[in-house]
Amino acid sequence: MAPDIEVDSLDVWYGQARALKEVTLHLGPGKVLALIGPSGCGKSTFLRVLNRMIDRAPQVRVKGAVRVGAFEVLAGDVDVTALRRTVGMVFQQPNPFPMTIFDNVAYGPRIAGLRQMAKLRQTVEDSLKKAALWDEVRGKLRRSAMSLSGGQQQRLCIARALAVNPQVLLLDEPTASLDPVSTAKIEELIVQFKTHYTMVIVTHNLQQAARVSDAVAFFEHGRLVEMGPTHDIFTAPRERRTEEFLTGRV
Amino acid sequence: MRADRIAALVMKGALALFIAVWVMVAVIVGAGAWRFVSANGLVGPLVSSRWSPLAAHYGILAFVVGSMAVTGLALVLAAPGVLALSVTGARILRGAPQRAFIQILTLFVAVPSVVYGWWGLSVAVPLIRRLTGTAGFGPLSAGIVLAVMIVPTFSIMALQTLRQVPSSLVEGSLGLGASEDQTLWHVILPASRAGLSQGFLVAVGRALGETIAVQMVIGGQSRVLSLLKPGATLTTQLLTDLALMPARTPGHDALDFMALWLMILMAVLVWLQSRVRGMSRG
Repeated sequence: MAPDIEVDSLDVWYGQARALKEVTLHLGPGKVLALIGPSGCGKSTFLRVLNRMIDRAPQVRVKGAVRVGAFEVLAGDVDVTALRRTVGMVFQQPNPFPMTIFDNVAYGPRIAGLRQMAKLRQTVEDSLKKAALWDEVRGKLRRSAMSLSGGQQQRLCIARALAVNPQVLLLDEPTASLDPVSTAKIEELIVQFKTHYTMVIVTHNLQQAARVSDAVAFFEHGRLVEMGPTHDIFTAPRERRTEEFLTGRV
Repeated sequence: MRADRIAALVMKGALALFIAVWVMVAVIVGAGAWRFVSANGLVGPLVSSRWSPLAAHYGILAFVVGSMAVTGLALVLAAPGVLALSVTGARILRGAPQRAFIQILTLFVAVPSVVYGWWGLSVAVPLIRRLTGTAGFGPLSAGIVLAVMIVPTFSIMALQTLRQVPSSLVEGSLGLGASEDQTLWHVILPASRAGLSQGFLVAVGRALGETIAVQMVIGGQSRVLSLLKPGATLTTQLLTDLALMPARTPGHDALDFMALWLMILMAVLVWLQSRVRGMSRG
Protein backbone atom coordinates (compact mmCIF):
# COMPACT_ATOMS: atom_id res chain seq x y z
CA MET A 1 0.00 0.00 0.00
CA ALA A 2 1.51 3.29 -1.09
CA PRO A 3 1.93 5.76 1.79
CA ASP A 4 1.08 9.45 1.91
CA ILE A 5 3.65 12.17 2.51
CA GLU A 6 3.16 15.01 4.95
CA VAL A 7 5.61 17.86 5.34
CA ASP A 8 5.21 20.53 8.00
CA SER A 9 7.27 23.75 8.25
CA LEU A 10 10.38 22.25 6.69
CA ASP A 11 13.51 24.43 6.87
CA VAL A 12 16.91 23.49 5.43
CA TRP A 13 20.16 25.42 5.78
CA TYR A 14 23.48 24.72 4.11
CA GLY A 15 25.82 26.52 6.50
CA GLN A 16 24.42 30.07 6.52
CA ALA A 17 22.46 29.68 3.30
CA ARG A 18 18.82 28.84 3.72
CA ALA A 19 17.72 26.39 1.03
CA LEU A 20 14.14 25.72 2.10
CA LYS A 21 11.80 28.03 4.01
CA GLU A 22 8.81 26.69 5.92
CA VAL A 23 7.64 24.25 3.30
CA THR A 24 4.35 22.62 4.17
CA LEU A 25 2.50 20.21 1.90
CA HIS A 26 0.56 16.97 1.80
CA LEU A 27 0.61 14.34 -0.94
CA GLY A 28 -1.99 11.57 -0.99
CA PRO A 29 -1.09 7.88 -1.31
CA GLY A 30 -0.24 6.66 -4.81
CA LYS A 31 -0.14 10.18 -6.24
CA VAL A 32 2.55 11.71 -8.44
CA LEU A 33 3.86 15.12 -7.39
CA ALA A 34 5.96 17.13 -9.84
CA LEU A 35 8.32 19.73 -8.39
CA ILE A 36 8.99 22.62 -10.73
CA GLY A 37 10.82 25.91 -10.41
CA PRO A 38 13.99 27.67 -11.49
CA SER A 39 17.39 26.08 -10.83
CA GLY A 40 18.53 26.41 -7.22
CA CYS A 41 15.01 26.91 -5.90
CA GLY A 42 15.23 23.98 -3.50
CA LYS A 43 13.47 21.22 -5.47
CA SER A 44 16.31 18.73 -5.22
CA THR A 45 16.94 19.67 -1.60
CA PHE A 46 13.30 18.91 -0.84
CA LEU A 47 13.55 15.56 -2.62
CA ARG A 48 16.72 14.60 -0.77
CA VAL A 49 15.11 15.31 2.60
CA LEU A 50 12.49 12.64 1.94
CA ASN A 51 15.04 9.78 2.04
CA ARG A 52 17.55 11.59 4.25
CA MET A 53 20.10 11.70 1.42
CA ILE A 54 20.39 15.32 2.57
CA ASP A 55 22.47 14.03 5.52
CA ARG A 56 25.45 13.75 3.15
CA ALA A 57 25.66 17.49 2.54
CA PRO A 58 28.31 19.19 4.68
CA GLN A 59 27.06 21.56 7.39
CA VAL A 60 23.43 20.87 6.68
CA ARG A 61 20.67 21.64 9.18
CA VAL A 62 17.11 20.42 8.79
CA LYS A 63 14.13 21.55 10.88
CA GLY A 64 10.46 20.73 10.77
CA ALA A 65 8.44 17.55 10.51
CA VAL A 66 8.32 15.12 7.61
CA ARG A 67 6.24 11.96 7.63
CA VAL A 68 6.29 9.32 4.90
CA GLY A 69 3.68 6.70 5.77
CA ALA A 70 4.71 5.42 9.18
CA PHE A 71 8.19 6.96 9.03
CA GLU A 72 8.92 10.11 11.01
CA VAL A 73 11.70 10.96 8.56
CA LEU A 74 13.50 13.59 10.65
CA ALA A 75 13.23 11.78 13.98
CA GLY A 76 16.60 11.04 15.53
CA ASP A 77 15.82 7.37 15.99
CA VAL A 78 14.43 6.68 12.52
CA ASP A 79 15.97 3.63 10.80
CA VAL A 80 17.53 5.41 7.83
CA THR A 81 18.31 2.10 6.12
CA ALA A 82 14.70 0.94 6.33
CA LEU A 83 13.53 4.40 5.25
CA ARG A 84 15.72 4.31 2.15
CA ARG A 85 14.50 0.86 1.23
CA THR A 86 10.95 2.16 1.45
CA VAL A 87 11.72 5.43 -0.33
CA GLY A 88 13.63 4.55 -3.51
CA MET A 89 15.55 7.12 -5.54
CA VAL A 90 16.41 7.55 -9.20
CA PHE A 91 19.02 10.13 -10.10
CA GLN A 92 19.51 12.69 -12.85
CA GLN A 93 22.43 10.82 -14.43
CA PRO A 94 21.94 7.08 -14.78
CA ASN A 95 24.32 5.65 -12.16
CA PRO A 96 24.52 1.89 -12.62
CA PHE A 97 27.26 0.22 -10.60
CA PRO A 98 30.26 -0.99 -12.61
CA MET A 99 29.11 -4.60 -12.43
CA THR A 100 26.81 -6.90 -14.38
CA ILE A 101 23.19 -6.10 -15.15
CA PHE A 102 22.12 -8.91 -12.82
CA ASP A 103 24.33 -7.75 -9.95
CA ASN A 104 23.04 -4.21 -10.30
CA VAL A 105 19.43 -5.26 -9.77
CA ALA A 106 20.37 -7.87 -7.15
CA TYR A 107 22.43 -5.31 -5.20
CA GLY A 108 19.64 -4.03 -2.94
CA PRO A 109 18.15 -7.44 -2.06
CA ARG A 110 21.64 -8.84 -1.39
CA ILE A 111 22.52 -5.90 0.84
CA ALA A 112 19.30 -6.61 2.74
CA GLY A 113 20.43 -10.20 3.27
CA LEU A 114 18.76 -12.19 0.47
CA ARG A 115 21.11 -15.03 -0.51
CA GLN A 116 18.95 -17.68 -2.20
CA MET A 117 19.80 -17.65 -5.88
CA ALA A 118 16.34 -18.75 -7.04
CA LYS A 119 14.67 -15.88 -5.18
CA LEU A 120 17.29 -13.41 -6.36
CA ARG A 121 16.74 -14.47 -9.96
CA GLN A 122 12.99 -14.10 -9.59
CA THR A 123 13.36 -10.65 -8.01
CA VAL A 124 15.73 -9.51 -10.75
CA GLU A 125 13.42 -10.74 -13.49
CA ASP A 126 10.33 -9.19 -11.91
CA SER A 127 12.07 -5.86 -11.38
CA LEU A 128 13.41 -5.73 -14.93
CA LYS A 129 9.95 -6.54 -16.25
CA LYS A 130 8.37 -3.77 -14.18
CA ALA A 131 10.97 -1.35 -15.55
CA ALA A 132 10.20 -2.54 -19.12
CA LEU A 133 13.80 -3.59 -19.68
CA TRP A 134 13.46 -7.37 -19.49
CA ASP A 135 12.86 -7.93 -23.21
CA GLU A 136 16.00 -5.97 -24.08
CA VAL A 137 18.38 -7.63 -21.60
CA ARG A 138 17.12 -11.21 -21.13
CA GLY A 139 19.99 -13.58 -21.86
CA LYS A 140 22.47 -10.72 -21.37
CA LEU A 141 22.23 -10.40 -17.61
CA ARG A 142 25.91 -11.29 -17.21
CA ARG A 143 26.99 -8.36 -19.35
CA SER A 144 28.29 -5.18 -17.80
CA ALA A 145 25.64 -2.58 -17.08
CA MET A 146 27.98 -0.10 -18.76
CA SER A 147 27.27 -1.77 -22.11
CA LEU A 148 23.69 -0.47 -22.05
CA SER A 149 22.55 2.78 -23.66
CA GLY A 150 21.80 5.80 -21.46
CA GLY A 151 18.05 5.20 -21.58
CA GLN A 152 18.47 1.51 -20.78
CA GLN A 153 20.82 2.39 -17.93
CA GLN A 154 18.20 4.68 -16.45
CA ARG A 155 15.54 1.95 -16.66
CA LEU A 156 18.08 -0.41 -15.06
CA CYS A 157 18.41 2.08 -12.20
CA ILE A 158 14.63 2.10 -11.89
CA ALA A 159 14.61 -1.71 -11.83
CA ARG A 160 17.35 -1.62 -9.21
CA ALA A 161 15.25 0.70 -7.06
CA LEU A 162 12.14 -1.48 -7.50
CA ALA A 163 14.02 -4.64 -6.48
CA VAL A 164 13.93 -3.66 -2.80
CA ASN A 165 10.15 -3.25 -2.86
CA PRO A 166 9.88 0.46 -2.21
CA GLN A 167 6.57 2.22 -1.64
CA VAL A 168 7.74 5.65 -2.65
CA LEU A 169 9.90 6.66 -5.62
CA LEU A 170 11.89 9.88 -5.75
CA LEU A 171 12.92 10.86 -9.26
CA ASP A 172 15.47 13.68 -9.60
CA GLU A 173 15.18 14.90 -13.19
CA PRO A 174 15.24 11.28 -14.38
CA THR A 175 15.11 12.14 -18.07
CA ALA A 176 17.37 15.20 -18.12
CA SER A 177 20.18 13.31 -19.84
CA LEU A 178 18.04 11.18 -22.16
CA ASP A 179 16.87 11.40 -25.76
CA PRO A 180 13.14 11.88 -26.52
CA VAL A 181 12.42 8.19 -27.14
CA SER A 182 14.06 7.10 -23.88
CA THR A 183 12.29 9.96 -22.11
CA ALA A 184 8.93 8.78 -23.42
CA LYS A 185 9.62 5.26 -22.11
CA ILE A 186 10.45 6.55 -18.63
CA GLU A 187 7.33 8.75 -18.59
CA GLU A 188 5.26 5.74 -19.60
CA LEU A 189 6.66 3.84 -16.64
CA ILE A 190 5.81 6.66 -14.25
CA VAL A 191 2.22 6.67 -15.48
CA GLN A 192 2.03 2.87 -15.12
CA PHE A 193 3.44 3.02 -11.59
CA LYS A 194 0.70 5.39 -10.40
CA THR A 195 -1.33 4.08 -7.46
CA HIS A 196 1.34 1.38 -6.83
CA TYR A 197 3.92 3.90 -5.67
CA THR A 198 3.72 7.41 -4.31
CA MET A 199 6.11 9.42 -6.49
CA VAL A 200 7.85 12.76 -6.32
CA ILE A 201 9.57 13.90 -9.50
CA VAL A 202 11.79 16.93 -10.00
CA THR A 203 11.61 18.17 -13.57
CA HIS A 204 12.59 21.15 -15.65
CA ASN A 205 10.31 19.94 -18.40
CA LEU A 206 6.90 21.51 -17.82
CA GLN A 207 5.24 19.34 -20.47
CA GLN A 208 6.58 16.34 -18.61
CA ALA A 209 5.09 17.61 -15.37
CA ALA A 210 1.77 18.10 -17.15
CA ARG A 211 1.88 14.62 -18.71
CA VAL A 212 2.78 12.49 -15.69
CA SER A 213 1.79 14.24 -12.47
CA ASP A 214 -1.38 14.46 -10.40
CA ALA A 215 -0.18 17.48 -8.49
CA VAL A 216 2.40 20.20 -9.11
CA ALA A 217 4.41 22.18 -6.55
CA PHE A 218 6.10 25.37 -7.71
CA PHE A 219 9.21 26.33 -5.72
CA GLU A 220 11.06 29.64 -5.84
CA HIS A 221 13.94 30.84 -3.63
CA GLY A 222 13.39 27.95 -1.24
CA ARG A 223 9.71 28.69 -0.74
CA LEU A 224 6.77 26.60 -1.87
CA VAL A 225 4.89 29.26 -3.83
CA GLU A 226 1.95 27.15 -4.78
CA MET A 227 0.81 23.54 -4.91
CA GLY A 228 -2.33 22.15 -6.49
CA PRO A 229 -3.81 19.62 -8.88
CA THR A 230 -1.80 19.56 -12.11
CA HIS A 231 -4.72 20.68 -14.27
CA ASP A 232 -5.45 23.67 -12.04
CA ILE A 233 -1.83 24.79 -11.84
CA PHE A 234 -1.39 24.76 -15.61
CA THR A 235 -4.74 26.34 -16.48
CA ALA A 236 -5.51 28.61 -13.57
CA PRO A 237 -2.62 29.21 -11.16
CA ARG A 238 -3.58 31.20 -8.07
CA GLU A 239 -0.22 32.94 -7.69
CA ARG A 240 1.12 35.53 -10.11
CA ARG A 241 4.68 34.15 -9.76
CA THR A 242 3.51 30.70 -10.84
CA GLU A 243 1.82 32.09 -13.90
CA GLU A 244 4.89 34.11 -14.82
CA PHE A 245 7.11 31.06 -14.49
CA LEU A 246 4.78 28.86 -16.54
CA THR A 247 4.58 31.42 -19.31
CA GLY A 248 8.31 31.95 -19.39
CA ARG A 249 8.39 35.39 -17.80
CA VAL A 250 11.02 34.62 -15.19
CA MET B 1 62.37 28.85 -34.54
CA ARG B 2 65.94 28.58 -33.48
CA ALA B 3 65.01 28.09 -29.84
CA ASP B 4 62.68 25.30 -30.94
CA ARG B 5 65.47 23.56 -32.78
CA ILE B 6 67.79 23.83 -29.80
CA ALA B 7 65.11 22.53 -27.47
CA ALA B 8 64.45 19.61 -29.80
CA LEU B 9 68.16 18.88 -29.97
CA VAL B 10 68.47 18.89 -26.17
CA MET B 11 65.48 16.55 -25.85
CA LYS B 12 66.82 14.16 -28.46
CA GLY B 13 70.25 14.24 -26.86
CA ALA B 14 68.80 13.45 -23.46
CA LEU B 15 66.79 10.59 -24.92
CA ALA B 16 69.85 9.21 -26.71
CA LEU B 17 71.89 9.42 -23.52
CA PHE B 18 69.15 7.67 -21.59
CA ILE B 19 68.94 4.87 -24.12
CA ALA B 20 72.73 4.55 -24.21
CA VAL B 21 72.95 4.24 -20.43
CA TRP B 22 70.16 1.69 -20.39
CA VAL B 23 71.77 -0.37 -23.16
CA MET B 24 75.12 -0.20 -21.39
CA VAL B 25 73.65 -1.52 -18.14
CA ALA B 26 71.80 -4.25 -19.99
CA VAL B 27 74.93 -5.24 -21.91
CA ILE B 28 77.21 -5.25 -18.87
CA VAL B 29 74.78 -7.12 -16.65
CA GLY B 30 73.69 -9.35 -19.51
CA ALA B 31 77.26 -10.27 -20.45
CA GLY B 32 78.14 -11.16 -16.87
CA ALA B 33 74.94 -13.14 -16.48
CA TRP B 34 75.64 -14.93 -19.77
CA ARG B 35 79.11 -15.95 -18.62
CA PHE B 36 77.62 -17.11 -15.33
CA VAL B 37 74.91 -19.21 -16.99
CA SER B 38 77.45 -20.71 -19.43
CA ALA B 39 79.63 -21.79 -16.52
CA ASN B 40 76.99 -22.82 -13.95
CA GLY B 41 73.83 -23.51 -15.88
CA LEU B 42 70.51 -21.73 -15.44
CA VAL B 43 68.65 -23.95 -12.99
CA GLY B 44 71.37 -25.14 -10.64
CA PRO B 45 72.08 -21.80 -8.94
CA LEU B 46 68.36 -21.11 -8.60
CA VAL B 47 67.71 -24.24 -6.57
CA SER B 48 70.83 -24.19 -4.41
CA SER B 49 71.16 -22.08 -1.32
CA ARG B 50 74.87 -22.49 -0.82
CA TRP B 51 76.42 -19.10 -1.45
CA SER B 52 80.16 -19.27 -1.02
CA PRO B 53 81.83 -17.47 -3.92
CA LEU B 54 85.36 -18.24 -2.75
CA ALA B 55 84.57 -21.96 -2.94
CA ALA B 56 82.77 -21.42 -6.27
CA HIS B 57 79.31 -22.18 -4.87
CA TYR B 58 76.79 -19.73 -6.26
CA GLY B 59 73.39 -20.84 -5.02
CA ILE B 60 71.07 -17.81 -4.93
CA LEU B 61 67.92 -19.57 -3.72
CA ALA B 62 68.23 -18.02 -0.27
CA PHE B 63 68.27 -14.51 -1.75
CA VAL B 64 65.35 -15.11 -4.10
CA VAL B 65 63.28 -16.60 -1.29
CA GLY B 66 64.47 -13.81 1.02
CA SER B 67 63.36 -11.11 -1.42
CA MET B 68 59.97 -12.69 -1.93
CA ALA B 69 59.44 -13.36 1.77
CA VAL B 70 60.39 -9.86 2.85
CA THR B 71 58.20 -8.34 0.13
CA GLY B 72 55.26 -10.60 0.90
CA LEU B 73 55.56 -9.99 4.62
CA ALA B 74 55.71 -6.24 4.06
CA LEU B 75 52.55 -6.30 1.93
CA VAL B 76 50.62 -8.40 4.43
CA LEU B 77 51.67 -6.16 7.31
CA ALA B 78 51.00 -2.98 5.33
CA ALA B 79 47.58 -3.94 3.96
CA PRO B 80 45.44 -3.12 7.03
CA GLY B 81 47.24 0.20 7.50
CA VAL B 82 46.83 1.09 3.83
CA LEU B 83 43.15 0.27 3.92
CA ALA B 84 42.58 2.25 7.10
CA LEU B 85 44.59 5.30 6.03
CA SER B 86 43.21 5.49 2.50
CA VAL B 87 39.60 5.04 3.55
CA THR B 88 40.01 7.60 6.32
CA GLY B 89 41.68 10.09 4.00
CA ALA B 90 39.37 9.56 1.06
CA ARG B 91 35.93 8.94 2.51
CA ILE B 92 35.84 10.10 6.12
CA LEU B 93 37.88 13.29 6.41
CA ARG B 94 36.78 16.38 4.51
CA GLY B 95 38.04 19.88 3.89
CA ALA B 96 41.08 21.13 5.82
CA PRO B 97 41.71 17.97 7.90
CA GLN B 98 41.68 15.94 4.69
CA ARG B 99 44.21 18.25 3.01
CA ALA B 100 46.47 18.12 6.09
CA PHE B 101 46.18 14.34 6.22
CA ILE B 102 47.24 14.00 2.57
CA GLN B 103 50.14 16.41 3.07
CA ILE B 104 51.43 14.41 6.03
CA LEU B 105 51.20 11.16 4.06
CA THR B 106 53.07 12.78 1.16
CA LEU B 107 55.74 13.88 3.61
CA PHE B 108 56.25 10.26 4.66
CA VAL B 109 56.62 9.23 1.01
CA ALA B 110 59.49 11.67 0.74
CA VAL B 111 61.42 10.30 3.72
CA PRO B 112 64.66 8.66 2.45
CA SER B 113 64.83 4.92 2.92
CA VAL B 114 67.94 5.11 5.08
CA VAL B 115 65.81 6.91 7.66
CA TYR B 116 63.31 4.06 7.62
CA GLY B 117 66.26 1.70 8.09
CA TRP B 118 67.38 3.80 11.04
CA TRP B 119 63.92 3.55 12.52
CA GLY B 120 64.12 -0.21 12.03
CA LEU B 121 67.44 -0.37 13.84
CA SER B 122 66.29 1.67 16.78
CA VAL B 123 62.69 0.44 17.11
CA ALA B 124 61.87 -2.73 15.15
CA VAL B 125 65.04 -4.71 15.87
CA PRO B 126 65.05 -4.07 19.66
CA LEU B 127 61.34 -4.82 19.78
CA ILE B 128 61.76 -8.19 18.03
CA ARG B 129 64.76 -8.89 20.23
CA ARG B 130 62.74 -8.27 23.37
CA LEU B 131 59.72 -10.24 22.17
CA THR B 132 61.55 -13.28 20.83
CA GLY B 133 64.87 -13.41 22.59
CA THR B 134 66.71 -13.55 19.26
CA ALA B 135 69.19 -11.01 17.97
CA GLY B 136 66.33 -9.14 16.31
CA PHE B 137 67.95 -9.00 12.88
CA GLY B 138 66.20 -10.95 10.13
CA PRO B 139 63.46 -11.01 7.52
CA LEU B 140 60.77 -10.25 10.10
CA SER B 141 62.39 -6.95 11.04
CA ALA B 142 63.03 -6.22 7.36
CA GLY B 143 59.38 -6.94 6.57
CA ILE B 144 58.26 -4.56 9.30
CA VAL B 145 60.56 -1.79 8.08
CA LEU B 146 59.40 -2.26 4.48
CA ALA B 147 55.77 -2.31 5.58
CA VAL B 148 56.20 1.03 7.34
CA MET B 149 57.97 2.32 4.25
CA ILE B 150 55.38 1.30 1.66
CA VAL B 151 52.33 2.27 3.69
CA PRO B 152 52.53 5.98 2.75
CA THR B 153 53.18 5.36 -0.97
CA PHE B 154 50.49 2.73 -1.32
CA SER B 155 48.05 4.70 0.85
CA ILE B 156 48.39 7.87 -1.22
CA MET B 157 47.72 5.99 -4.42
CA ALA B 158 44.79 4.09 -2.90
CA LEU B 159 43.43 7.30 -1.41
CA GLN B 160 43.46 9.14 -4.74
CA THR B 161 41.69 6.21 -6.38
CA LEU B 162 39.03 5.98 -3.68
CA ARG B 163 38.42 9.72 -3.91
CA GLN B 164 37.67 9.42 -7.59
CA VAL B 165 34.73 7.08 -7.10
CA PRO B 166 31.82 9.26 -8.24
CA SER B 167 29.46 10.27 -5.47
CA SER B 168 26.59 9.23 -7.75
CA LEU B 169 27.64 5.60 -7.23
CA VAL B 170 27.88 6.10 -3.49
CA GLU B 171 24.44 7.70 -3.34
CA GLY B 172 23.04 4.99 -5.59
CA SER B 173 24.14 2.44 -3.02
CA LEU B 174 23.03 4.41 0.04
CA GLY B 175 19.70 5.06 -1.68
CA LEU B 176 19.04 1.32 -1.77
CA GLY B 177 19.40 1.10 1.99
CA ALA B 178 23.06 0.11 2.10
CA SER B 179 25.09 1.25 5.09
CA GLU B 180 28.30 3.24 4.67
CA ASP B 181 30.31 0.07 5.34
CA GLN B 182 28.36 -1.99 2.84
CA THR B 183 28.83 0.78 0.30
CA LEU B 184 32.56 0.78 0.95
CA TRP B 185 32.96 -2.98 0.50
CA HIS B 186 30.48 -3.57 -2.30
CA VAL B 187 30.73 -0.41 -4.41
CA ILE B 188 33.66 1.86 -3.58
CA LEU B 189 36.41 -0.77 -3.32
CA PRO B 190 35.28 -2.80 -6.37
CA ALA B 191 34.98 0.39 -8.42
CA SER B 192 38.54 1.28 -7.40
CA ARG B 193 39.98 -2.08 -8.35
CA ALA B 194 42.15 -0.85 -11.23
CA GLY B 195 43.71 1.96 -9.21
CA LEU B 196 44.22 -0.22 -6.15
CA SER B 197 45.98 -2.91 -8.20
CA GLN B 198 48.27 -0.25 -9.61
CA GLY B 199 49.13 1.03 -6.15
CA PHE B 200 49.73 -2.57 -5.09
CA LEU B 201 52.21 -3.12 -7.93
CA VAL B 202 54.07 0.09 -7.14
CA ALA B 203 54.29 -1.06 -3.51
CA VAL B 204 55.59 -4.47 -4.58
CA GLY B 205 58.17 -2.75 -6.77
CA ARG B 206 59.30 -0.50 -3.98
CA ALA B 207 59.59 -3.36 -1.49
CA LEU B 208 61.34 -5.68 -3.92
CA GLY B 209 63.85 -3.07 -5.00
CA GLU B 210 64.55 -1.56 -1.60
CA THR B 211 68.12 -2.19 -0.48
CA ILE B 212 69.58 0.00 2.21
CA ALA B 213 66.69 -0.03 4.68
CA VAL B 214 66.53 -3.81 4.41
CA GLN B 215 70.27 -4.26 4.70
CA MET B 216 70.28 -2.29 7.95
CA VAL B 217 68.03 -4.78 9.75
CA ILE B 218 68.13 -8.14 7.95
CA GLY B 219 71.48 -9.35 9.27
CA GLY B 220 73.15 -10.35 6.03
CA GLN B 221 73.56 -14.11 5.96
CA SER B 222 72.79 -16.60 3.23
CA ARG B 223 70.10 -18.72 4.82
CA VAL B 224 66.91 -20.08 3.36
CA LEU B 225 64.14 -18.44 5.24
CA SER B 226 64.00 -18.24 8.92
CA LEU B 227 62.04 -15.14 9.84
CA LEU B 228 63.94 -14.54 13.04
CA LYS B 229 67.48 -15.40 12.00
CA PRO B 230 69.72 -13.16 9.90
CA GLY B 231 69.05 -13.52 6.19
CA ALA B 232 69.57 -11.66 2.93
CA THR B 233 67.74 -10.62 -0.21
CA LEU B 234 68.84 -10.22 -3.82
CA THR B 235 69.35 -6.50 -3.34
CA THR B 236 71.18 -6.64 -0.03
CA GLN B 237 73.52 -9.37 -1.26
CA LEU B 238 74.29 -7.28 -4.35
CA LEU B 239 75.07 -4.35 -2.11
CA THR B 240 77.38 -6.21 0.24
CA ASP B 241 79.22 -8.37 -2.31
CA LEU B 242 79.63 -5.93 -5.16
CA ALA B 243 82.61 -4.28 -3.50
CA LEU B 244 84.19 -7.62 -2.59
CA MET B 245 84.26 -9.15 -6.04
CA PRO B 246 86.16 -7.45 -8.83
CA ALA B 247 84.58 -7.27 -12.28
CA ARG B 248 85.03 -10.26 -14.61
CA THR B 249 85.52 -12.67 -11.72
CA PRO B 250 83.05 -15.59 -11.49
CA GLY B 251 81.64 -14.17 -8.27
CA HIS B 252 80.94 -10.86 -9.96
CA ASP B 253 79.24 -12.68 -12.80
CA ALA B 254 76.98 -14.32 -10.24
CA LEU B 255 75.97 -10.86 -9.00
CA ASP B 256 75.22 -9.85 -12.58
CA PHE B 257 72.98 -12.91 -12.79
CA MET B 258 71.13 -11.78 -9.67
CA ALA B 259 70.84 -8.22 -10.96
CA LEU B 260 69.37 -9.52 -14.19
CA TRP B 261 66.74 -11.44 -12.24
CA LEU B 262 65.82 -8.29 -10.34
CA MET B 263 65.51 -6.37 -13.60
CA ILE B 264 63.33 -9.08 -15.09
CA LEU B 265 61.07 -9.13 -12.02
CA MET B 266 60.74 -5.35 -12.17
CA ALA B 267 60.04 -5.43 -15.90
CA VAL B 268 57.25 -7.93 -15.29
CA LEU B 269 55.80 -5.60 -12.65
CA VAL B 270 55.91 -2.61 -14.99
CA TRP B 271 54.25 -4.69 -17.69
CA LEU B 272 51.52 -5.80 -15.28
CA GLN B 273 51.01 -2.18 -14.28
CA SER B 274 50.51 -1.05 -17.86
CA ARG B 275 47.98 -3.85 -18.33
CA VAL B 276 46.02 -2.84 -15.25
CA ARG B 277 45.98 0.77 -16.33
CA GLY B 278 44.47 -0.28 -19.64
CA MET B 279 41.58 -2.06 -17.99
CA SER B 280 38.36 -0.16 -17.54
CA ARG B 281 36.51 0.10 -14.28
CA GLY B 282 34.53 -2.95 -13.23
